[in-house]
Amino acid sequence: MKLLNGKLDGYNPFRKRGLAEKKALWGWFFIAPWIVGFIFFFAVPLVTSFYYTLTTIQISHNGLEFNWAGFDNYVYAFTVDPDFTRNIVESALNIVYQVPIIICFSLFIALILRSEFRGKTAMRSIFFLPVIISSGVVITILQQNVFASGTGEASTLFQTGNLTDILVRSGFGPSFTKIITQTIGQIFDLTWRSGVQILLLLSALHSIPDSMYEAAKIEGATGWEMFWKITFILISPTIVMAIIYSIIDYFTDYSNSIMQMIVENVKIGKFEYSTTISILYFAVVMIIILFVNGILSRSANKAVN
Amino acid sequence: MAMTYYKNKKAGDKALEIITSIVRALFLLGMAYVLLYPVLFLLSNAFRDPIDRLDPTVIWIPKTFTLNNFFLSDQILGFLPSIMKTLSMLIPSVIIQVFICLMVAYGFARFNFKFKELLFSCLLFTIIVPVQTMIIPLYVNFRFFDFFGIGKILAIFNGGEAVTVKLLNTNWPFYLMSLTGTGIRSGLYIFMVRQFFKSMPVELEESAFVDGCGPFKTFMKIMLPNVGSIVIVITLFSIVWHWNDFYLSVMFYIEEYPLSVSVTMLQERLTLLSQNMSAEDMALAESSLLEAACFVVIAPVLLLYIFAQRYFTESITRTGIVG
Repeated sequence: MKLLNGKLDGYNPFRKRGLAEKKALWGWFFIAPWIVGFIFFFAVPLVTSFYYTLTTIQISHNGLEFNWAGFDNYVYAFTVDPDFTRNIVESALNIVYQVPIIICFSLFIALILRSEFRGKTAMRSIFFLPVIISSGVVITILQQNVFASGTGEASTLFQTGNLTDILVRSGFGPSFTKIITQTIGQIFDLTWRSGVQILLLLSALHSIPDSMYEAAKIEGATGWEMFWKITFILISPTIVMAIIYSIIDYFTDYSNSIMQMIVENVKIGKFEYSTTISILYFAVVMIIILFVNGILSRSANKAVN
Repeated sequence: MAMTYYKNKKAGDKALEIITSIVRALFLLGMAYVLLYPVLFLLSNAFRDPIDRLDPTVIWIPKTFTLNNFFLSDQILGFLPSIMKTLSMLIPSVIIQVFICLMVAYGFARFNFKFKELLFSCLLFTIIVPVQTMIIPLYVNFRFFDFFGIGKILAIFNGGEAVTVKLLNTNWPFYLMSLTGTGIRSGLYIFMVRQFFKSMPVELEESAFVDGCGPFKTFMKIMLPNVGSIVIVITLFSIVWHWNDFYLSVMFYIEEYPLSVSVTMLQERLTLLSQNMSAEDMALAESSLLEAACFVVIAPVLLLYIFAQRYFTESITRTGIVG
């Protein structure tokens, strides 16, 4: 009886609550909308998605019919489908070599935009332009149209024919040459993909107090030393964030071959296979992110401390 | 001796400075050209007669200005209805989304409760998982929407069948997802605003609390008026991402599409309309019309950006969205 009383005491709604408890309740109140959304529009659909991948879906007169199929879809993806394995390896490799380039480029631009010069504001707004435009479908149309047709100038803007010649003649391997020429061919793509990263890095650069550089200058540090010992270390958490953002951004890009497979499979009604591909692809990207985050965050934290 | 050395060094510094600024200016101009090129290209081509495209003497400024491309693509696509559609989805969604994100972020930033860390990592997880992985359950969810499970309970009155509503082809999927903090990129905004709230001093809220102001009132009266810069950033992001949204719109609408989706249909519709045209004329007309349509899509966000750009760049550099 005493125990029950004690238990009831805790739940007495008329009991005067402590301040911390009250604040906790208010906390729940503020995040309540998100919790509902998280359950109904995130967790449940995600689990259902996973369930779909274990079935075959048939469209019948009374809606969709699910037949249990075990891991057939996964087996199909890895052993039968000729495109899947090739595309997923290709995408993963692309992430590995494109992300560092994007990050270096954005860091470089952010550093330039951080310095004082005339027309700084105008330049900044031009470099943030991709954030505004490139999230849309228009950029895909633009990429096809601007660089495929129209004035002759456009197609020669980033032609790399001569460079390939020079590189091959100077004895570089074909794979190295390919990476170089591909990168140059993608300058347009790179600049258009770096908007958000530039923005993140620039705002991190602005949060470094000037007094640090002044102190370093008095100690006689060169600009190069200051970059590696102050700037780079202080913004390294942001660099990790920018890397993760770039990976996700690349992952959800419509021009990505896996993304196209996902959309195409929905179009032909193979919902379960489309979901299987997206879940597998997501798993791969998740592993890459965890790996990158694990390594970089630790070294970034070490550096900051 | 020492003096001249010092002077020489100074002169060298100055020369270096000038060279640096010239190199920087050249580099930035080059990059700016790459970034502005597509926009200028659109602008130039949208207003030009298709015949001018073949004229090698015309590079940027067309010989004949024409608005025909716009009229024709409007006839094929019907800009007005699709713009209205976009706006009817966008305006309520953006307002709801921004408010809810501020609220949830405030909850995460200022209150301590059980499982807070766990829930916050769930929030980060929602940023990472793309909507593509769960689009089909979401689609089914809105096709047979049962009010968060209430429909299943109401099934008792409905002869055992869950009461559901078809929300496809309405704006409700977007409203509901914004209302529950899972709209387009809501997770990212919550994260950003939380960082911002954490950097704000607590003294103001504490004094409000001492004066007998409840948490919700504090949030409305003290926090909201002071979040200016971050709200500009996330509102602009939210507007742009709703305006540009393609993937969700193509799933949740059936016949009448918002602008971003209808643009992609230009090609198909044109093919249907002009079967007796030669392939060359067709390709020429098609790219002109497509560019005019693309221009219509990006012009509003571009204008918005030009007007808001000052606040946008300033608030980003000032608030330090990374915290």
